[in-house]
Amino acid sequence: MILFLLSATWLLAGGDLLIKNATILTVTGGVIPNGDVLVLNGVIKQIGQNLTAPAGVRIIEANGRYLMPGIIDTHTHIALSGTNEGTDAVTPEVTMAEVVNADDTSIFTALSGGVTMVHTMHGSANVIGGTNVVLKLKWGKPSEELIVKEAYPTLKFALGENVKQSNRTLLPGRPQRYPATRMGANALIRTELMRAKDYMATWDRYEQLKKSKNPPANLFPPRKDLRLETLADLLRGKLIARCHAYVAPEMIEFLNLSKEFGFKIGAFEHAWEAYKITNELKAAGVGISVFIDSWAYKMEAAEGIAYNAAYCTKKGLLVSINSDSGERIRRLFNEAGKAVKYGLTQDEALKLITINAAKQLGVDRLVGSIEVGKQADLALFSQHPMSAYTRCEMTIIEGDVYFDREALIKKRAGASAQKGGLS
Amino acid sequence: MNNHFKKWQPALVRPVAIAFLIMVLAASLLDPAQAASPEVKPAYALVNCRIFPVAQPVIEKGIILIRDGLIEAVGPAGKIQIPEDAELIEASGLNAYPGLISAHTNLFLEIKEQAQPATPEEYMAAFSQPAEPKEFPWLQIVEKIKPKKQTVETYHRVGITTVVVAPHEGIFQGQSVVLNLNSDQIHGMVLAQPWALHINFATERGVYPSSPMGTLAFIRQKFYDTQHYSQHLQKYRQSPHFLKRPEYDPFLEALLPFVIDKKPIVFQCNNLEEIKRALKIIKEFKLNAVLTGCNEAWRASQQLKSASIPLLVTLDFRPPASSVYAQQGQAIREKAEKEIYPANASNLVKEKMNFSLTSFGLNDTDFVKNLRAAIKAGLPADQALRSLTIEPARTLGLEKQLGSLEPGKIANLILTRGELFDEKTKVVKVIVDGTVFTYEEKGQCEKR
Repeated sequence: MILFLLSATWLLAGGDLLIKNATILTVTGGVIPNGDVLVLNGVIKQIGQNLTAPAGVRIIEANGRYLMPGIIDTHTHIALSGTNEGTDAVTPEVTMAEVVNADDTSIFTALSGGVTMVHTMHGSANVIGGTNVVLKLKWGKPSEELIVKEAYPTLKFALGENVKQSNRTLLPGRPQRYPATRMGANALIRTELMRAKDYMATWDRYEQLKKSKNPPANLFPPRKDLRLETLADLLRGKLIARCHAYVAPEMIEFLNLSKEFGFKIGAFEHAWEAYKITNELKAAGVGISVFIDSWAYKMEAAEGIAYNAAYCTKKGLLVSINSDSGERIRRLFNEAGKAVKYGLTQDEALKLITINAAKQLGVDRLVGSIEVGKQADLALFSQHPMSAYTRCEMTIIEGDVYFDREALIKKRAGASAQKGGLS
Repeated sequence: MNNHFKKWQPALVRPVAIAFLIMVLAASLLDPAQAASPEVKPAYALVNCRIFPVAQPVIEKGIILIRDGLIEAVGPAGKIQIPEDAELIEASGLNAYPGLISAHTNLFLEIKEQAQPATPEEYMAAFSQPAEPKEFPWLQIVEKIKPKKQTVETYHRVGITTVVVAPHEGIFQGQSVVLNLNSDQIHGMVLAQPWALHINFATERGVYPSSPMGTLAFIRQKFYDTQHYSQHLQKYRQSPHFLKRPEYDPFLEALLPFVIDKKPIVFQCNNLEEIKRALKIIKEFKLNAVLTGCNEAWRASQQLKSASIPLLVTLDFRPPASSVYAQQGQAIREKAEKEIYPANASNLVKEKMNFSLTSFGLNDTDFVKNLRAAIKAGLPADQALRSLTIEPARTLGLEKQLGSLEPGKIANLILTRGELFDEKTKVVKVIVDGTVFTYEEKGQCEKR
């Protein structure tokens, strides 16, 4: 509350803005030099030149600086009170939306790099983790106001070294957790999904009996199992799988599982070897959410290549660049910029952290580009965001300014306690 | 009397007996002072004290009559007749208050701090132990309590006469008891047993659930399981024909009275988010709940107001590890401890919210110190008194017995030299269940 009142005076402008004379990188409609963007009630109302604002609307003079859609991080773990429920290999019953931590300073760090939206996820310790959540980084607002309800509900899966606990030292007296192999992981997912099918059948049978003319006297509802309930939702198509996987065969195995059980895959996370199976991924309509160039940090990343994102984009896959980190998140634009070196145009590279990410999260009709009618999630950069010399000057969510570098620097003298906005 | 009637066999006598009984009852209703058993019990009269009854305005010079551990009368000096057999206790210059209630403590429990492994060998040894869940929903903490005279006295000296002793380990921690600090004999101390089931949003170490989201799923699943278990038991009781019997589950058995019969469940909330999480679960399962801890209650005042759930607000101002105030460096932590948390109670008063204060996490001296800090931070003294007397009495469902100085209530009161929360004030006499403990400024406690 205190932090909100304090910040309200200088951070929030009330959802109305006129940004003048910006180089507008619309992402979906080309570049508009010296353009204006009018935002009313948090929504982009007009894009053009020599726009005027109603009286009282704050005017931001961009002076030719670069305005882009707010950056969207499709895979991170910030703003949460926990990451992994690592005591069991199967924990779909845990819900990250319930442990959103709006006080996490990583939110502010991310804002300083132009990030306005994150897909913040359960960790990769488990074959089946928990359900993830999409947040807008409305720093200073209560946790429930951060949640983007329109986004796809997603369930985290993971394969490979993390779930096999390959890089852990086994302690004497402690058994190795199942699964310890790739076959084990695959079998475990299949087992759990079959249990979920049985569970659905049990409930269906109960509902049928209940509706029947003469329900048996001993009839009462089956046990509600939150674990199987979530998996049933996956099988019913109400949840979309997001699968952490590095190597090609594991991704193929997971694609096969999705065909076998008829569930949807939103994207593969990290997907270092996606370049090897672009045809299969394209046929399945599955995108990837990847790092740009930090390969070979463990065995399963050994065959990662920095051309992965660019190559897969050219092959027609939906690719986004993620941070997976509370630090890298503030320079996602740099990460995307590197894709230019590996073969993409600046426009294509920009999409990796904007519209592509929005599509992967199911929010591309709301955000991801600068278009009339979309939510005014914007970032103002000093130079082209794909330049190595750029820096984020201002970050706007739904027309409210949540990060303003110039104002912050002015404030800094008296704001040593600004940390976490808690003063 | 009943035994007498049983000897009278003839049927005709019965209506006479009943009429007599009605007369006796009517008489007792008309004259409450005569209602007590005819046996003469020891009586005391505290005379010439300034009385803060909490439920009524202050009486400048009054008398409190105590008989058989109960308050017989309270009033101004001229208006109360002192019975002949009452022993007079001169209390001029003293203030009388209801005994304070701390509705969440771990009093008398031996809490062993788990030694942190120091060397690599110790670390290996500690972590290669098979981990075991620490869940005890069936635990009756009353069975673990060994009251100590010395502890009782230290609590008396800060004015506390009644405590809730709650279990402290795990997520489903067990069931608490309400005790009157009248002696060191546990059975005579019990006011309500069990009072409530205590749940903490803690995590297990090495076993499920080990994360905040795991804990929430675990709690929910247990509640759903209890509902299902109860449905199954009911069906089975109706007719066991063609119905497999429910498998006995001690965990769910322990939860039945709380989840199904809606006895109170106390959720410990160590930060803003935990308050919100608790409120969500309470609503979902329609629980009869109380929140404890609540050191960040002011941050959730709007949600708490609309939920109108009783709050037990701790006076422990150290930010818990899970709080944002503990995670952003020394400066923020100190500010929280010295300024932000002490203002919690006064912020709640500003929002016109009712709450109880507790000594949870504090020893006797820190309780007094922090209480004064809360008052200094804006908590009005009369509100502080209410939140340690009538408010917790209500939350505990003991408002007919405790919380104010009124005839018929339990004689729990304290006599102080000076106003209760003032720096130099000393508690000089404590009366619990009518037993008088004297704590003159120096020297030993004298019990009568």
